[in-house]
Amino acid sequence: MSAESVFSLRNRWFITAVGITAGLFLLTAVVGLIVLPYAQRDVTFTSIWDAICSAAGVPQVRSSAAPVQPDFKVSTVVVTASMLGQPSQESIGRGATLAQQCAICHGPVGVSRADSPNLAGQYASAIYKQLKDFTSGARVNAIMTPFAVSLSEQDMVDLSAYYAYLPRLPAYHPEQGKPAPRIVVNGAPMRNIAACGSCHGALDNKAGSPWLEGQSAAYIRTQLQAFASGARRNDISQQMRNIARQMTPEEIDEVAQYYASQPPQSRRASSE
Amino acid sequence: MTSSPHIHDDGAAVAARAERRWATLSIVIIVVIAGVAAFAGIHQATMPQVRVETADPTTLHIGGEFVETNLGSAAEPDGTVTVRAIGQRYSFTPQCILVPTDTPITLRATSSDVVHGLLIQGTNVNTMLVPGYVSVLTARFEKPGEHLMPCQEFCSIGHEGMWARVKVIDKAAFMNMTSNRRRLDCVE
Repeated sequence: MSAESVFSLRNRWFITAVGITAGLFLLTAVVGLIVLPYAQRDVTFTSIWDAICSAAGVPQVRSSAAPVQPDFKVSTVVVTASMLGQPSQESIGRGATLAQQCAICHGPVGVSRADSPNLAGQYASAIYKQLKDFTSGARVNAIMTPFAVSLSEQDMVDLSAYYAYLPRLPAYHPEQGKPAPRIVVNGAPMRNIAACGSCHGALDNKAGSPWLEGQSAAYIRTQLQAFASGARRNDISQQMRNIARQMTPEEIDEVAQYYASQPPQSRRASSE
Repeated sequence: MTSSPHIHDDGAAVAARAERRWATLSIVIIVVIAGVAAFAGIHQATMPQVRVETADPTTLHIGGEFVETNLGSAAEPDGTVTVRAIGQRYSFTPQCILVPTDTPITLRATSSDVVHGLLIQGTNVNTMLVPGYVSVLTARFEKPGEHLMPCQEFCSIGHEGMWARVKVIDKAAFMNMTSNRRRLDCVE
């Protein structure tokens, strides 16, 4: 058999092989794109093209009913793991100047002498998110709200960069003989509580979650209670309310006490 | 055959017969397996999701279908119930999903961060929640009761603490509750 005659319509083998291949292709296309989609229950297609596009995986955005809109301000911050990653020296410097107005409560180097949060070494994304939520009204505080509303977007980025740049208080737990509270180490898997450290830094950091070591006990307790009661609702999609609601008042106390332990030098600083 | 004292001179014919039998057998096996897969696919609902739907995982909380006040169970005009939920590190919202008995349920869920899994124990509801995509499943609960809904896809270090509950209640009681609330859940 010469080379020319292989791809010829006179070659019976050629016709048969191409015919079988094309037939198989058609059959699988009809079965996969039309027959199987229509074989599924609970689905109605507007047309045969709808069925074919669905089976082929063309993405669709559809949401039937009108969503129930929140009657309160939800956080509008878009939190991603890579946000505010590499601040410039200029941004940090600008943040340092802006931070002078924060020093009265949050301390000259970001370590508070009152029960306001320590901001030194805090994750930039956590500071930025809270500032933005104060500005939008998703989180309300008599002292912070007036400060935050006057901040521009760049101010918030710079402040976050500055405080994240400062050295943080080291984790310090003087009662080493006593085991750390179970709720901190293991969470309470039976009650839908993951270990605190799986978001708050000791084990892993979920973008937007703050570093808790060395924060004031009063502050941690108040915030947990506010999350549990629903008084504070700026946590994205209830991520913290889900946890705090399941915690007992004793556990809230334990957690607050545990995280509040501070190294001696900062104790001195705050008692001066 | 090997014990036979004679040497057969029709060896080629024997070999051809054996080959034909084995060929037939293997084709039958392939057809049966393909048939079982096709039957299971069509009759046991082990089908991939019909439609691909997308949702931006970073803005779920700001507005649209997965805003927190729209999560939970919604009674639809056609008598079915739509349940919307999100999975995030490390909880489902809502933490307790309320559904009625004997009602077609459409479950719509997605993830706001990493891949999570949604599995309702004691049922065949089992899917992945992939950020960026909406997972849609249909289900029907026959008996009232409570099911666990653990995350079945390792999502990071707090995975073991991530689960929710599904509470199935009597249809009439459920429909009563929908008269004063548009979205239902059983979070206490």
